[in-house]
Amino acid sequence: MDRLYCAHLGAVRQLEGMELGQDIDEIQSARGRVSKDDSLPLVSLQNVSLGYDSEPVLQNVDLTIYPGDLIGLAGPNGSGKTTLFRAILGLLPILSGTVSRNCPLSNFGYVPQSAALDPQFPLSTGEVVEMGAYGRIRPYEFFPAAEKKQIGEVLDQVGLRQLAARSFFSLSGGQKQRILIARALMVKPKIMILDEPLSGVDEESRKTISELLVGLTRHSGLAIFFSSHDVPMVRRVADRFLRVDKGKIWWEKKGVELHP
Amino acid sequence: MSTFLEILSPSYLLFPALLGTAILGLVCPLIGSYLILRRTVFLGLTLPQIAAAGVSFTFWLQQTGFFPQWQQGERGIGMIGSLLFTFLGMGLLGYLEQRRKGIAEGRLAAAYALAGALTILFIVFNPAGQIEVLNLLKGEVIALSKGELRLLATVFGLVLVGMLLFRREFLLTSFDRDLAFLLKGRQIIWDVLLYLLAGVSIAFGVIMAGPLLLFGFLVLPALAARPLVNNMSSFLWLSSLLGLAMAVFGFYSSVRLDLPLGPTDVTLGCCLIFLAYALRRISPRRALGLIVLSSVALWTYGCATPTAPLPEAKALNNQTLWLAKVKNSTGLSLLLPATNPLRSLAEMAGKISSDYRQSVMDLLRDDLRRELEQRGFRVTLPEQTDSRFPAFPADTGNAVRLAREGKLSGLIFVSEIWRWEADSRQFVRVFADFKIVRTDDGSVLWERRIQRAVPTPSATNLGQAYTDSVKEIVRDLFAG
Repeated sequence: MDRLYCAHLGAVRQLEGMELGQDIDEIQSARGRVSKDDSLPLVSLQNVSLGYDSEPVLQNVDLTIYPGDLIGLAGPNGSGKTTLFRAILGLLPILSGTVSRNCPLSNFGYVPQSAALDPQFPLSTGEVVEMGAYGRIRPYEFFPAAEKKQIGEVLDQVGLRQLAARSFFSLSGGQKQRILIARALMVKPKIMILDEPLSGVDEESRKTISELLVGLTRHSGLAIFFSSHDVPMVRRVADRFLRVDKGKIWWEKKGVELHP
Repeated sequence: MSTFLEILSPSYLLFPALLGTAILGLVCPLIGSYLILRRTVFLGLTLPQIAAAGVSFTFWLQQTGFFPQWQQGERGIGMIGSLLFTFLGMGLLGYLEQRRKGIAEGRLAAAYALAGALTILFIVFNPAGQIEVLNLLKGEVIALSKGELRLLATVFGLVLVGMLLFRREFLLTSFDRDLAFLLKGRQIIWDVLLYLLAGVSIAFGVIMAGPLLLFGFLVLPALAARPLVNNMSSFLWLSSLLGLAMAVFGFYSSVRLDLPLGPTDVTLGCCLIFLAYALRRISPRRALGLIVLSSVALWTYGCATPTAPLPEAKALNNQTLWLAKVKNSTGLSLLLPATNPLRSLAEMAGKISSDYRQSVMDLLRDDLRRELEQRGFRVTLPEQTDSRFPAFPADTGNAVRLAREGKLSGLIFVSEIWRWEADSRQFVRVFADFKIVRTDDGSVLWERRIQRAVPTPSATNLGQAYTDSVKEIVRDLFAG
């Protein structure tokens, strides 16, 4: 994946003066000045085939994700976006090829589609975010005060601290997505994978979430890989983006489509 | 009649049973909460039925002489079968789930039907122990001994500790399996642990309380708590609290109204669900007020002295008190077993009639007479004037008519037994009416109804159980 670039710390500092609410395109143009990074990739897929019951859904996938990357994955429903994410997260065994990860799975922040979560569960927003810390707490431990403080901080990051006591499933679609992002942040991730974070949310929430994702890569060097079936939105938000359709996956550069 | 405070006293004879029910009510909803949230609630119905099949299976094996050397008690043997079948059933259902054979609900429904059928078949194969097996399957928690209570407390205490210790893992695995995999590795460990705790609770719970009561405790408190909370920790503690309330108030109602505990508790649990949905429709302040008011009303009702005490003899101007024969309306002979083996043999051979044996009615009348005389009443038996006097019914009109026909004047003490059933020699279920009626005007001066399970813990045979319960009833009758 020679076309991959990395967000490098020096370049990130150039962006620090910008506010989160700044226009995304402006941020993206600043990102364009980011140079290549030679650091170790977080995830690397080489000639991977993915599918269910030996039936391939995606074939010949080559992908490398570096720290600070903001990669979008666009494609129609059922094209294999979630399948790819699940393979990266180790939730789905690959049919062939190699997947290598340079950080433990507990450093992966995963934001599923909120519709995939069961609304039957009586969970407060705070409890949902708290789950992100469970990997660090042993069964016999009380929930540490430092982690409680961390919950407040990540809720501040997504701008929803005031909703901590509210029922998670009573929130709007956009609020739910931001809470799930806060939960993923609670994991203290090196890479965050978001499955359709912009689906089922209003325009205002789309903008807020997009700004949040860009801000996260800008401020913390976090690698973000997200999917959407809204191609223009992915094109606008991501540094680079992949297209997936009919069992094939290829890179697209802004404005130019590069088929494999 | 027991008041609410009485049953809460450790000296109360059925206190171990109350404590056992309370333990079940406290712990089972924690497991049931996860079964509901994981949408595997039918597992909570099927597993107890499988455990019940295990109980009847081991009893049948024992009857065929498979366990001749075992000196286990009834519950001990049942428990082995219950545990064995529960874990076998869980293993089989888990295997089919992994293999994805058929529909999940279909598998559970088929397993439930099969377990129910096997339970009945094993009972039928075992005619010698049918009553014992049926009693165990009914789950007479009321007959819980102190040793069994200790075992129950230990097992459910461990389950409670497990549920509290691994609550985060269970929640994460139940709510978001993908995140659980990323943070905690393979979630199968947590699934197995949760179902292991559920299996142990169900296997022990079925033998102590029966499948119906256990299923009720597993799911009803959690279903009642669900509409009232919006976070997981409140959900768990409220489920537990409602389970406890269901156990205590159900037990009280069962003892006071002489109703079987399982169905009483389950009905109460269903009422709690309706109440919870009704409370959700009103504001929290009003709901709280309503709960406080209802609690006060229940408390007042429960603590109230149910009936007036027996009037003193002087207050009745020392009138003659005719103590009528006790009427037996049970349809059973209520004869005490013979103590002389030769007479028993002769009776079985049809050489002599069973008339020589005392009956519960005789015992009761003797004790009543002794107690009334001690209280200063001039007690006379109607048959002393005319031997043809029958037993008087408790129905006031008929009793007065009979007394007038027999030219009895003054006061008449009538007693009628409606129900008298010994259950596992641990207690006798009694339903009887007692009245003092003035023959002149037909007015009722005093009346009492005894409707409860009378514990007979020290009885070693049926005769002793009957004798002990008669004494207990007479004591209760005149205690005020």
